[in-house]
Amino acid sequence: MSTTVRSRVRPRTPSQRLRNLSREQLPSRAIAGRSLLYAILIVLATIYVAPFLVQVATSFKTDGDAASNPMSLIPQTWSTAAYERLFLNSDFPVWFQNSAIVTVFVTLGRVFFNSLAGYALARLHFRGRNVIFALLIAVMSVPGVVLLIPKFLVINQLGIYDTYVAMVVPLLTDAAGVFIMKNFFESIPASVEEQARIDGAGTFRVFWSIVLPMARPALVTIIILSFQGSWNELSHFIVATQSSELTTLTKGVASLASGQLSQGTQYPLKLAAAAIMTIPVAVMFFIFQKRIMNTTDGAVKE
Amino acid sequence: MQRRNSRWLIGAGLTVAGALTLSACGSGSGFGGDTAATGGELTSDSSQGLNILIGSSGDAETASVNAAVAAWSEESGTDAKVSVASDLNQQLAQGFAAQKPADVFYLSTDALAGYASNGSLLAYGDELANKDDFYPSLVSSFTYDGEFYCAPKDFSTLQLIINTDLWAQAGLTDADIPTTWDELAAVSKTLTTPERVGLAIGGEYARLGAFMAEAGGSLMNEDSTEATANSAENVAGLEYAQTLLNDGVMSYASEIGAGWGGEAFGKQLSAMTIEGNWITGAMKNDFPDVKYTVAELPEGPEGKGTMQFTNCWGIAADSPNQAAALELVEQLTSKDAQLTFSEEFGPMPSIQSAAEEWKISNPTLVAFLNGADYAKGVPNVQGAADVVSDLNAQLESLKTGDATAILDSTQQNLEALLK
Amino acid sequence: MSTPARTSRRSGIRGGEAASGWLFTAPMIILLGMFLVIPVLMALWVSFSDWNGRGSPFSGSVSFVGLDNYSALVGGGGLAEQDFGTALRNNAWYVLLVVPIQTMLSLFLAVLVNRQILRGRGFFRTAFYFPSVTSSVAITVLWLFLFSATGAVKKLLAFVGVNGPNWFNDPSGVLHNILGVFGVQTGPAALTDNSFLGISFWEWLAGPSVAMSAFILMAVFTTSGTFMLLFIAALQNLSGDVVEAAMMDGANGWQRFWRVTLPQLRPTLFTVLTLGLIGAWQVFDQIYTGTQGGPGKTTLTPAYLSYQTAFTNQAWGQGAAIAFILFVIIVVFTLFQRWLLAERKVSVRRMRPYLQTPTSGGSR
Repeated sequence: MSTTVRSRVRPRTPSQRLRNLSREQLPSRAIAGRSLLYAILIVLATIYVAPFLVQVATSFKTDGDAASNPMSLIPQTWSTAAYERLFLNSDFPVWFQNSAIVTVFVTLGRVFFNSLAGYALARLHFRGRNVIFALLIAVMSVPGVVLLIPKFLVINQLGIYDTYVAMVVPLLTDAAGVFIMKNFFESIPASVEEQARIDGAGTFRVFWSIVLPMARPALVTIIILSFQGSWNELSHFIVATQSSELTTLTKGVASLASGQLSQGTQYPLKLAAAAIMTIPVAVMFFIFQKRIMNTTDGAVKE
Repeated sequence: MQRRNSRWLIGAGLTVAGALTLSACGSGSGFGGDTAATGGELTSDSSQGLNILIGSSGDAETASVNAAVAAWSEESGTDAKVSVASDLNQQLAQGFAAQKPADVFYLSTDALAGYASNGSLLAYGDELANKDDFYPSLVSSFTYDGEFYCAPKDFSTLQLIINTDLWAQAGLTDADIPTTWDELAAVSKTLTTPERVGLAIGGEYARLGAFMAEAGGSLMNEDSTEATANSAENVAGLEYAQTLLNDGVMSYASEIGAGWGGEAFGKQLSAMTIEGNWITGAMKNDFPDVKYTVAELPEGPEGKGTMQFTNCWGIAADSPNQAAALELVEQLTSKDAQLTFSEEFGPMPSIQSAAEEWKISNPTLVAFLNGADYAKGVPNVQGAADVVSDLNAQLESLKTGDATAILDSTQQNLEALLK
Repeated sequence: MSTPARTSRRSGIRGGEAASGWLFTAPMIILLGMFLVIPVLMALWVSFSDWNGRGSPFSGSVSFVGLDNYSALVGGGGLAEQDFGTALRNNAWYVLLVVPIQTMLSLFLAVLVNRQILRGRGFFRTAFYFPSVTSSVAITVLWLFLFSATGAVKKLLAFVGVNGPNWFNDPSGVLHNILGVFGVQTGPAALTDNSFLGISFWEWLAGPSVAMSAFILMAVFTTSGTFMLLFIAALQNLSGDVVEAAMMDGANGWQRFWRVTLPQLRPTLFTVLTLGLIGAWQVFDQIYTGTQGGPGKTTLTPAYLSYQTAFTNQAWGQGAAIAFILFVIIVVFTLFQRWLLAERKVSVRRMRPYLQTPTSGGSR
């Protein structure tokens, strides 16, 4: 963890010294206090983690076992029926594929367009820059769910309803991402590009080969947010598509959950589907864990 | 500066708006002009395959419809694909609005008026070769504004489903099959044990309405021209159900961890349920070991009563290949196809010519067909679906609720539709 | 505008900058215009029209109906008004409970996890944050299982001797239930006989239904991690000197927290409250996946009602009208937040980084 590292390296602040001092002075009370702290944290962490463990365990249970032993972490009889059904006898692979396609394109698109616009707003001087900036602030305040009907209308009007284009392109709108990039570019010293310009490099060259490579940390932030955002998106896909070939994981699993008459509760199946759809974001989370925690740190420190 | 900015902003907005309008016109798709829903030739763009959208009661029905459609597709050479909707009405409405609807789809009685009135449906009833064979009551369910819109797919009635093993275990015999409300309450009590409840039903109008019918009531009169929701008969029906709920001898399926009455019954969380023909398909597939019998619902104060449900095969006005769609529907409503459907997932054929054969091959299910004589349909005025879903919401708390108040509000809502 | 002079002065090195600037921002402007600004304008028109979902909403057969769609919702006296009132009531209770609980919990977690002496901070932070990265659909599926009639929560409660409710199938209001324990079954006539938006005041005071309470717990579960991170970051920025001074004054931990730490956390606290408010008014995914408004319409929310009215019932004008009313509600809360922050002289710049959260956190 980055912060742990940081605090170790950081010279001890007076308050830390003081705290250590007081710990030495009041050993028994401090130990009691610390035990209580750990006890509370462990109870809380259990509450936060247990549901996911139950989820994975239940996905390997039979329907009956899931109903009679909802809390046990070890199935009475191991059953992979839920996974077999999902992968061999349902549209699940198609959903997964669609989610992956959309996520990749949205992430790539956002990285490119956000950094382009962010760079222009941070560095280029042109007429109307402030207006664009004002516009971005304004649209950022439009809440997402209010856009369901509007998005459907425009997607229809453009004749792209029920296509990949309709799934991907509207999700490229990301005013917040432009801000993140703009803020980052502003923190890069201007002298670097000035030199390149004097050497005669064009604006796009400067942006593409000099500034963008320096913006890796911010780009990672955009990638994380876009990946998570588009993988977990539901409402947009509901209004943008209808055919089963274009169903994404979120939409598909939601339809499993709302269920149909007589398919019964089928909890192992639903939980298996939900567990699998969590894996990519979980992997993403663990790879960039350090970065995610830092992102928020950095943002607040600004 | 600030003011100039905002003026400029409006200008830019208008420019973008203009560009979008132009591009939309250029693309030529999206919302086209209104296609005439009736009259004229059927479209027959044979390059287009058919999409069939169904609201399935389960794997049995899905497989069965798939097989029937695949057979037709092979025979006719037209591609056809069946999709199962998770929310049929939502998917239909979205498809109509986007002008990309499924070509052929299940359509419920209460959804007919809405889609027919805005021109989403093809009124093809009169072009059906087998049009005179359908039960007249079903045809009238799918007639809107004097036009016969779509071919009834099949129909079902509600009856009492009894788990015969549990019945015998409780010391009951055939002679104990309830024929009155008091007897139903009594056997429900006998069958209720700590592990299971005597009777489990879905907590909705489409089940509780049977009690209202037994008491002689219905939400609207037969032609759906007058609201009769808060009649004394309906109140009596609901209050009877309320008593059963409060005595603990009847439960809603959702209260005991089941999605519907059939699941509660199949999992033996209840010894009896009130369901329609579709339960036979689910029992066969999901709970093959549970033995059951079907009895007619007991008589209420006003004699026998039950509810009748039917769907039709709707064809979209925007379908590019209506001619093939019509052929498919004729095939799917033929005697052979309907008898096969019936065998595989339980509904009764919508054509009279299949009745005798059906009775012979389904001797244990005759109670369902007998129900046709006294069953009542659901109201089909435009907007009735909303009123019913509001009623359903209120019925969820019937146990502690006030039957009269619930029905009064339904009455008010139905009257609003008739204005 | 004031830039031309500057531009020409710099044109030596920065030639063609204006063109590049527009070129670079054009994709985003077009995207935002096409998929945000114009759609909103189109929907605004639909909300004033009688479009029934077939053909173009701009065709000649669609007519302007003024405020009809809006008045049906706020004074029509019919089912539409009643549903809208119910949805507002449900969501208001949701907001009222979710926002304070998630704020307090996330602050509590942050304070605990931020202890310097704590070992395994990384593990705890990960555990608390993990629910925030999963999709609302996956969490809802899990919740439906945990809170089902035969689910883990019911078992757990039974274990400690409580006969738990049948969560997602229980439409009874929590406040009504509490009053019921004290023998109050029906409200006073003053409350039951008068109504607002088609719902009697007694019904307004029902509290969240038991089913909605399960969603409230879920919202707290999934959002507390994100907000915890914001608080941790703020805590790490606190000035140690002030804390030290307070310690020298002999203030104990609790006093230090209230008098020293909390006031310094004020900007973050307001951010979290505002983001919480905005997010909590947008409940959609959970309802779509989980209950579709049931049981007894007690989990109906304005966002879901808007969707259902338009997409299922084909009352597009009314659906759009609900969306715009919801928009106004959210804007009012946002302005309220701006006003609060302005009072405390925290610049908009400081707020900006947080604004990414609604996008990433989804509409939980």
